[in-house]
Amino acid sequence: MNATTHTAPRSERAGRPADTPRGPARARRRRFDWRTWGAFALLTAPMLIGLGVFKYIAIGWSFLLSLSDAQGTIALGDWVGLDNYRQLLGDAVFRNSLSKILLFTLFIVPITFAASLGLALLVNRIRRGRAVLRTAFLIPAAVSYVAASLVWKMSLFSGMPAGIANMLGGWFGMEAVPWLQAGDPPLYWIALVTLRLWLQVGFYMVLFLAGLQAIPKEVYEAAALDGATGLRLLRRITLPMLRNTSVAVLMLMFIAAFQAFDEFYNLFGGGMSGSGTAPVKTPLMYLHDTAMGAQNYGLGSAGSFVLTALIVGVTLIQGRITGFGKSEE
Amino acid sequence: MSGQRAQLSRRGFLGGSLLFVAGTAIGCTSSPTGGSSSGAKTTLNVWSHAYGEAGTQQALTRYAAEFTKANPDIAVKVTWVPGDYTAKLNASLLTDAAPDVFEHGDFTQGLARRGQVAALDAEYGSVKDDFNQTGRDGVTVDGKLYGVKMIDDVMMLYYRKSVLAKAGIAPPTTFDALVAAAKALTTKKTKGLFVGNDGVGEMPALSLLSNGGELVADGKIGFAAPQAVEAVSALKRFHDDKSLLLGFTTDWWDPSAFVQGVAPIQWSGLWAMPAIEKALGDDFGILPWPAFKAGGTPVVRVGGWTSCVNAKGKNVDAAKKFVKWLWIDQTKLQQDWSESYGFHVPPRKSVAATAAKLSKGTAKEAVELAAKYGRINPNTWDSASGTPFVAAASKIVTGQGDAAALLADAAKQAQLAVDKQLS
Repeated sequence: MNATTHTAPRSERAGRPADTPRGPARARRRRFDWRTWGAFALLTAPMLIGLGVFKYIAIGWSFLLSLSDAQGTIALGDWVGLDNYRQLLGDAVFRNSLSKILLFTLFIVPITFAASLGLALLVNRIRRGRAVLRTAFLIPAAVSYVAASLVWKMSLFSGMPAGIANMLGGWFGMEAVPWLQAGDPPLYWIALVTLRLWLQVGFYMVLFLAGLQAIPKEVYEAAALDGATGLRLLRRITLPMLRNTSVAVLMLMFIAAFQAFDEFYNLFGGGMSGSGTAPVKTPLMYLHDTAMGAQNYGLGSAGSFVLTALIVGVTLIQGRITGFGKSEE
Repeated sequence: MSGQRAQLSRRGFLGGSLLFVAGTAIGCTSSPTGGSSSGAKTTLNVWSHAYGEAGTQQALTRYAAEFTKANPDIAVKVTWVPGDYTAKLNASLLTDAAPDVFEHGDFTQGLARRGQVAALDAEYGSVKDDFNQTGRDGVTVDGKLYGVKMIDDVMMLYYRKSVLAKAGIAPPTTFDALVAAAKALTTKKTKGLFVGNDGVGEMPALSLLSNGGELVADGKIGFAAPQAVEAVSALKRFHDDKSLLLGFTTDWWDPSAFVQGVAPIQWSGLWAMPAIEKALGDDFGILPWPAFKAGGTPVVRVGGWTSCVNAKGKNVDAAKKFVKWLWIDQTKLQQDWSESYGFHVPPRKSVAATAAKLSKGTAKEAVELAAKYGRINPNTWDSASGTPFVAAASKIVTGQGDAAALLADAAKQAQLAVDKQLS
């Protein structure tokens, strides 16, 4: 009912003169509404059905799978309650993967954030060649994780003396080291972090640039009249005005970090022993091994729900802090 | 006027979209591969992992064509799967597009117990006894045969005769000698030994077996036993000496590191021997993984691929027919598959006896080593039990934690997996 009273005036305003008699208009209105709803249903149905079938049914099914013993099948029926969750949380490897990914996130998100914001500020300031620089920084975002991982693994951080990192080290008298293998110190983090930065910073930089360009010039002019310059301008004007962009970027970064898989899988994989010997295993790698390797789809589904809960939790906390607090970061 | 035009264009838009959808649907239903097999009633979908040796894909396609010639009502579509074959296979087996026939490396009981593969006893018939013992044991679950071993893959150590001779080192026949040789052969540009880019490879299992241990026996995980702890801990010596080649561009199953002289000793497979012979002539020899200490035994690993029939597929009978035709009846093709590309040992005794290229030189030595020291992974050993083991071993060899405790924890996980498989 609410909808009909809301849409009616609009349709009248659009097509009909305002002084139409009330009675017939009602009748016409009801007929028209039916057609609007029909069109609405027709136009949104493909998308809604698609979402339903490919997302929500799949998610629901996966949840039911997580409560059943599903080995080598995705048929439901063998209910085991919360056994899968119990086994999962009892597995030191999974718990360890969760704590590793938390650490990774705490490390990579601030660095990526600072680097992309810094680059955006720099690129935004220069007068000449801005487009060229922007493109140069954005291009890596178009490279696939797999391709980049292979370049990092076989060329930059190869264990051979001819690997680029080892060659550079060699000029300074360092001996060749295996970058990607387990060891002390854990050098593989250098490869992991640089790879992710190279791939992601450009993309977030563009988001920040868009945010920067949306800040009205007048605000800066007013601040300049008040005598604000340099760092003060940045802290009092630019960063607060960028808050919406920052919150969105931060959220994307958190989610991307928690879902890290591609570069870990490709940098450490490739051995016949699967990813068993990988020095760091992310939750998604663990789930890939469990579901695709050992065909334990029940356990795999349970793991994906634990991970989802973690991501949702972190996003909510982040939203609360950045959304309500008086943050100027 | 304007309202009417808007309505018209909306209708036009809808009509256009419907036409587009209909067109796409028609376009997609006419399968691009359908035309090739005129007259065939069923099309078998056969999956193979991407073998590295040149000519293998063409060979398999050729066998399939010959099968269709002999059975005109069954067409065969060979799918060559690069990359992570097991993951792709496992995912595909859940769907309608699942292969009817697929090969599996290191057959595991779980496949049969979960009802994913069909029993093939009838297809074997009297030929059963012609398959070697390990070939039959590997696919036997509760007395039934669930697959046909296509090839035995023998894995052992390759060494460069000239490099070892120049350094005055005898081919190592004990574990201590291997550690010492790897150390002595490590220079600024080369490393002594290549077992895999992760520095672990198959070493943990080899070391354990060479010390009289077992991965799993009678449903009980054995890799936390004292001799296993001793054998796995000792592998740390390679890492302490920094004598292992790590982070090479290809992994241990490819002979590039060995052929290019980056590592004078490498663990690899018999399949790589033609490539090594071509590059190095006779400047190489082979060795089993040496006995861990007095009282232990040298080990050669025997793996290989098994042809299986998808029990849940739509064409089980045709699939069985194909497997029987190719891997049981066609001895000529089996021989071609075993020795025309990479070298593999035919699991059928009669075929192995006539394999000309395997009956001379170093290849013959490898076959003999396999017969003497060859070990297959028990079919209760799968990735769910193997992953905790190599993960623990990886920590142990790089000195992160106590070996006994790590292996005991891993054994608990692996035992859960084995129990679940057998239940």
